[in-house]
Amino acid sequence: MRLIGLSIAALFALPILIGLFGSFLPAAGFMPQLAPGNGLQVLLSDPRFVPAIMLSLKTGLAATALVLLLTMLTLVCAHGTRLWQWLMAFLPPLLAVPHAAMAVGLVFLISPSGWLVRLFSPSVTGLERPPRSWVIPDSDGWSLVLGLVLKEAPFLLMAAAAHLSTINVSDSLKIGRTLGYSPARCWSRLVLPQLYARIRLTLFIILAFNFSVVDMAILLGPGNPPTFSVFLLSLVNEPGSRAAASAGALFLALGVVSCIALVLIVERVIAAIAGYRRVSGYRGRSLAVFRGLGQTVIAGILMLSVAAMAMLLLWSIARRWRFPDALPSQWTSENWLARSDLLLEPLFCTLLFAVFVVVSSILAAIAWLECERANAVPRLDWMWYIPLLIPQITLLFGWQAMALLLRVDGEWLTVAYAHWVYALPYVVLIMAVAWRELDSNWHSAAAVLGAGYWKILLRVRLPLLVKPVAQAAAVALAVSVAQYLPTLLLGAGRHQTLSIELVTSFGGVDRRVIATLAALQSLLPLLAFIAALYLPRLFSTANQDTHATA
Amino acid sequence: MQPLKVSNLTLQLPDGSKLCEALSFEVSPGEVLALMGPSGSGKSTILSWITGTLSPRIRAEGRVWLGDTDITFLPVERRCLGLMLQQDYLFPHMSVAQNLKFGLRGGSRKERDELVRNSLNSAGLAGMDKRHPLTLSGGQRARVSLLRTLLSNPHALLLDEPFSRLDTDLRATIREFTWDAARKLPTLLVTHDKEDIPAHAQTVTLTSLGDAADHLSVGETRHAR
Repeated sequence: MRLIGLSIAALFALPILIGLFGSFLPAAGFMPQLAPGNGLQVLLSDPRFVPAIMLSLKTGLAATALVLLLTMLTLVCAHGTRLWQWLMAFLPPLLAVPHAAMAVGLVFLISPSGWLVRLFSPSVTGLERPPRSWVIPDSDGWSLVLGLVLKEAPFLLMAAAAHLSTINVSDSLKIGRTLGYSPARCWSRLVLPQLYARIRLTLFIILAFNFSVVDMAILLGPGNPPTFSVFLLSLVNEPGSRAAASAGALFLALGVVSCIALVLIVERVIAAIAGYRRVSGYRGRSLAVFRGLGQTVIAGILMLSVAAMAMLLLWSIARRWRFPDALPSQWTSENWLARSDLLLEPLFCTLLFAVFVVVSSILAAIAWLECERANAVPRLDWMWYIPLLIPQITLLFGWQAMALLLRVDGEWLTVAYAHWVYALPYVVLIMAVAWRELDSNWHSAAAVLGAGYWKILLRVRLPLLVKPVAQAAAVALAVSVAQYLPTLLLGAGRHQTLSIELVTSFGGVDRRVIATLAALQSLLPLLAFIAALYLPRLFSTANQDTHATA
Repeated sequence: MQPLKVSNLTLQLPDGSKLCEALSFEVSPGEVLALMGPSGSGKSTILSWITGTLSPRIRAEGRVWLGDTDITFLPVERRCLGLMLQQDYLFPHMSVAQNLKFGLRGGSRKERDELVRNSLNSAGLAGMDKRHPLTLSGGQRARVSLLRTLLSNPHALLLDEPFSRLDTDLRATIREFTWDAARKLPTLLVTHDKEDIPAHAQTVTLTSLGDAADHLSVGETRHAR
């Protein structure tokens, strides 16, 4: 059993080491046949270097700060209200939407010819043509920031909501309020300091992602200068620039570490101020206006996300939709049916990767958690977070270099392996909670009845854990479907997934086709999440029926 | 200090059953009224209503007064009521002194430090100001929690089974400490253990959930004197 556990850990951790070395060696000049020249020198002398890294710093830090603020605002203003129930219902499907699809929906919403302008034109704005006063993507990267906030805020909020039960919020608020503190002060002085410590790692993952995102930056970020990761992607494709790109990839990782260090310093300062204010005795006043304002902002953000998704659906069934019409004047199903040549191949390719990733990651997670339960391997939760904290580009440049060296680039298994590395952490971490909490007496009860290990696992433990397994499977599928960079860099153009097709087509192809691609890409994880919600119920109902019949 | 008065309190669950009907009582400063009854009889719900933290799903009618002030519709934080629950709820991100200072209202830094030090001394907890709550024993935690409540200068004290989680040996000590500390306040105690009730307390017994006819307090005003 120990061997199985160690093999899984090796299969997971080895690519991370290979990725880091694969970026370091060309950058340091140790792979002259693949990456000639002094990478660092070339990188630093490139005029795009400084503007690109400054833009990434700005968008990455601004988006992360806004995500954190929005999450806290939501908790303070919405927790315990009907809006909170709405958020808990709507956020999982929004989380399932791939970043690229959300970015496309957002462009259809906020661009000069987007739905928001159409909604008020010409009645309010008087516009008969799309305005020219702004463009999307904007040159300052604010549309990218907005896109990142829309996608990452639900992620942090869901993580925070999962931790709330460990803090006993309602009693903390009750005690705080009877001591004379307003609800907002109770949150800021009692709940948030405890909660922040629990969501810090998730925040760092979001920071690393925001700083190094590629697909969303291509769709929503400015082109000149581009974000640093997009600049590196263009660099790696330039002949003779691999060494510089690899050096840049390491620089990107260093940037993430610096940003995390910055957050830790800011955190210390805020903690010191908060610590002082906590014992000052100042009670504060309950401001209903603040609460209302916060709820309005949250509802607005939620509506923006939902509207962005609705845009994809609307454009995918639109035949004729002229500006400034708020809705298409003619509808059609042809975008879905007549373009099947364009949709089916990417769909099949995406599904093939997704099915492999779902099955392999679920099996690996079960094996790992069973090894952990049998004390064959230690708890290594920190290990699963590593690839999520390292910029994708840093690891992928390394993997690509190694794949080129070993002549396995473009192979289906190479790409699938990369998808697996990115899906497995989520699968293990989701399943681990339920796995560890499951009462070990179930095992004992079955064992004394004479059941062996496999029978207990398959007939007792797994049926009891079917819900988290189904949720983990849906997340694995969502992660695989959303993968852009691994497919692009390791696939050598041979694997046209929906993600690749969508980002490549954006800007050059008909809006209706792009919307259809994005809608299809969003539909897959959404269906997976719906299945994860209902299939376990069917399963348990079937079990109950069997028992009843028996 | 002023008396805590509850008049004509009726609590109705979403299914229509009544936890209590027209319950009235008054507790003067220095007196203790104990609400007794089995689990589910509505004792803690009555306390939640008084503190203003009752679930909106439960329908409530009645009035609660502190002296001449009707506090029925005031937000929780403005009712000036001290609440102690089964758990001590010492905040784990604060030291003992910080927990106590969190309860304090106003005063200069020096005054606050002094008050905290004196409180700890009076409770036999001298020198524990910098300790983390998790390093304290159950009895020490209970005392700090009560001190925190008292330092917030409440006008009445509401105790929701505050001794039930303590070891039997410890209970007597903490009970004595509590009744001594609360001697100037009107105190409402919810418990299902007769041992918790001090000798000078009056008792209202809620017998069973939803059985309005059995409520001893229906239509009665019970003064704790």
